[in-house]
Amino acid sequence: MNIVVCIKQVPDVPTIRMDRERMSVIREGVESIINPLDCVALEAALALCNRSGGGVTVLSMGPPQSEEALREALARGADKVILLTDPAFAGADTLATSHVLATAISKLDPRPDLVLCGKQTVDSDTGHVGPQIAEELDFPQVCGVHEIHLETDALVVKQVSDGLLNTLRVSTPALLTVSQELSVPGHIPLGDLERAFSDGIIIRWGLEDLGLHAEEVGLRGSATRVWRLYNPPPRRMGEVISGPPQKLVEHIIAMLETKGILDAEDAEG
Amino acid sequence: MQRDRDHKGIWIFGDYRNYFQNRVTLQLIAKGKDLAQKLETEVTVVLLGDQTHQYAMEYVAHGADVVMVVDHPTLKDYHIETYTRLVAKLLASWRPEIFIAGATAFGREFFPRLAKRLRTGLSADCVSLEIDAESGLLVQTTPAFGGDLLAEIVTPDHRPQMATVHPGVFDERPHKSSALGRIIYPEVEIETDQRVQLVRSRREQGRKVNLEDASTVLVGGRGLGSKERFQVLFDLADLLNGEVGATRPAILAGWSEDTRLLGQTGKSVKPKLLITAGTSGALQYTTGIQGAEAIIAINRDPHAPIFRIADLGLVGDAHAVLALLLEKLRKRL
Amino acid sequence: MKFRESLISANHNYLVNDMLSPGFVLGDPGPRDDFWFVADVVPPEERRGRIYGRLYDRRGDFILELKGNRTTENPGQTVLQSIQGGFRIHYPSGELLIKVHTRNFANGHLTFIHGKVYDKEGRLRMEPSYEGVKVHGKGQLALVGPYEFGESGH
Repeated sequence: MNIVVCIKQVPDVPTIRMDRERMSVIREGVESIINPLDCVALEAALALCNRSGGGVTVLSMGPPQSEEALREALARGADKVILLTDPAFAGADTLATSHVLATAISKLDPRPDLVLCGKQTVDSDTGHVGPQIAEELDFPQVCGVHEIHLETDALVVKQVSDGLLNTLRVSTPALLTVSQELSVPGHIPLGDLERAFSDGIIIRWGLEDLGLHAEEVGLRGSATRVWRLYNPPPRRMGEVISGPPQKLVEHIIAMLETKGILDAEDAEG
Repeated sequence: MQRDRDHKGIWIFGDYRNYFQNRVTLQLIAKGKDLAQKLETEVTVVLLGDQTHQYAMEYVAHGADVVMVVDHPTLKDYHIETYTRLVAKLLASWRPEIFIAGATAFGREFFPRLAKRLRTGLSADCVSLEIDAESGLLVQTTPAFGGDLLAEIVTPDHRPQMATVHPGVFDERPHKSSALGRIIYPEVEIETDQRVQLVRSRREQGRKVNLEDASTVLVGGRGLGSKERFQVLFDLADLLNGEVGATRPAILAGWSEDTRLLGQTGKSVKPKLLITAGTSGALQYTTGIQGAEAIIAINRDPHAPIFRIADLGLVGDAHAVLALLLEKLRKRL
Repeated sequence: MKFRESLISANHNYLVNDMLSPGFVLGDPGPRDDFWFVADVVPPEERRGRIYGRLYDRRGDFILELKGNRTTENPGQTVLQSIQGGFRIHYPSGELLIKVHTRNFANGHLTFIHGKVYDKEGRLRMEPSYEGVKVHGKGQLALVGPYEFGESGH
């Protein structure tokens, strides 16, 4: 089974700091990691290939420093990694991003049987790219999958969606996005990270390699625009009180009474 | 206001499963009516399913001007490709300027595929929708960079302008039995896609968590210290007829199931009173509780960011305070 | 794309021509010896469909007049039977003439009508279709308010 995994290099969000004057994210000194759910997808791909044969190709669209993420993918066991990078790709919304990724996937030989992505990223969190790649490739999709079983010519997967536990049979080729809880029988141990930094070829594809025009990608190929970025308006800050627990509890009870959640204490208690 | 004459109307996807718990379509109808007034147009709810009569009537009762219904047994279970194909056909004929859906799991899986098919813009999980007075564009506000900032997004040149909206952000209008609306039955062929087949579907087990409707919410974060200490919130919730929420760190620590997650990737709540204990106040969390009428925060760190959004800040050991509160309330109730 | 359109009430609807409708009229209600039928709009305080009509059999003979779900004239000697949520009317032979049944949802109500109804010329004016009825001939399909019957006292 030939599997493609799409990964994104993201800032390690808990360590993000804001330049509040310039209204932008301070990227210097911020750790970059593979989006956690994309790691889950990659490990699943490796486990599936381990059982069925075939190879894992990892793609990422991003600036040149996304190479680090791809080196980590190689270290974990990917057979081939491709960085889709070009100044023209910058500023892309999910429509343009999915177009670049889908174009790259359709240029792969052999064609993949399965495309895996993380369900969403920690930075933009839309969860759109997977379904939009599936739509462009005309692949069936299932999102938020937590179990994958291989059958001949099909996959049986499970997802939890709006309170329902669904079991679905999907014919391949297909695209799945994976959730945190994904388990695939069989587990590949982490590769040797140091080794990945010395060998491993990273293929780079740009606009021309993909045969795309500048209007189809990046900011120009996007349908949405960010008009404004701003800090959420601060909520009014109230009183801050210190003291022993008894005093603090009295304040809580007073507010429960004010809000009508507790009836005000009277003689009967 | 400059306007695109070709596209008119506000459409809302009628996600009718779990109707009485899942109120997001009703919330969007209410917001849709506000937007429609500014654009001098109407709100249409698109309802695809099986045995939908009851829901068509409910949508009209809650404010929809029009309900567009495709009712057929093959639509009984939600199916991404079948729904995408069908709705794309409806959109090609009717051409609304705006199409919104609740950010339910289905909405978040279906809307991006549909937006791609139409080659239009889609924003995810919005916390605000407004019409820009000058351009007439739908301004869609979503959290960005993990919730630290808010981004205003527009789709200037593509139609319809699509967005999914976080449940609990808007308020529904009350049910009106006297309401009258129009109902449209498109004559459309339903093409099913056999590449995905639903083998089995069952309700998830577990105690039903209903945070969105609770008037009192108690939230615990990592600062509570342990799973046993987190349990105190449940005891308090039982006494106060409230519900328990959790921050992501508490869930990752295994103290709570993830259906209780509050925040950017979880639920938004608007209770009368919210008590947040052992939470530092990361924006990814607080975006989910901003709507509470009153917030009490308990944290041992007097500089914790949570105090900036609390009406009452209590500096102390969260567990000690909650345990004492529980004791006092038990005596009293 | 072709489509059909009707009105829909938040409180109560009938199913007619495979569409929801707050109420409908067939023929011309009036103080004449002629066919007519009204499935009337149900106001918000009420929960049951309300049926009025002057019905004929397939030979064009007058058999029954209904007012507000009750028989007022019954030359055909039909039998009205109450059922849960409505009523049914049989010919003396036992054959079903019409069945009216209202289903209650949490906040709204839906009335299903079944039956074959003919006019004075013996023409079929109403017949079963899926869950409801299909109607033929002159009429008004989506009433916005309760029907105003004439001064004749209908």
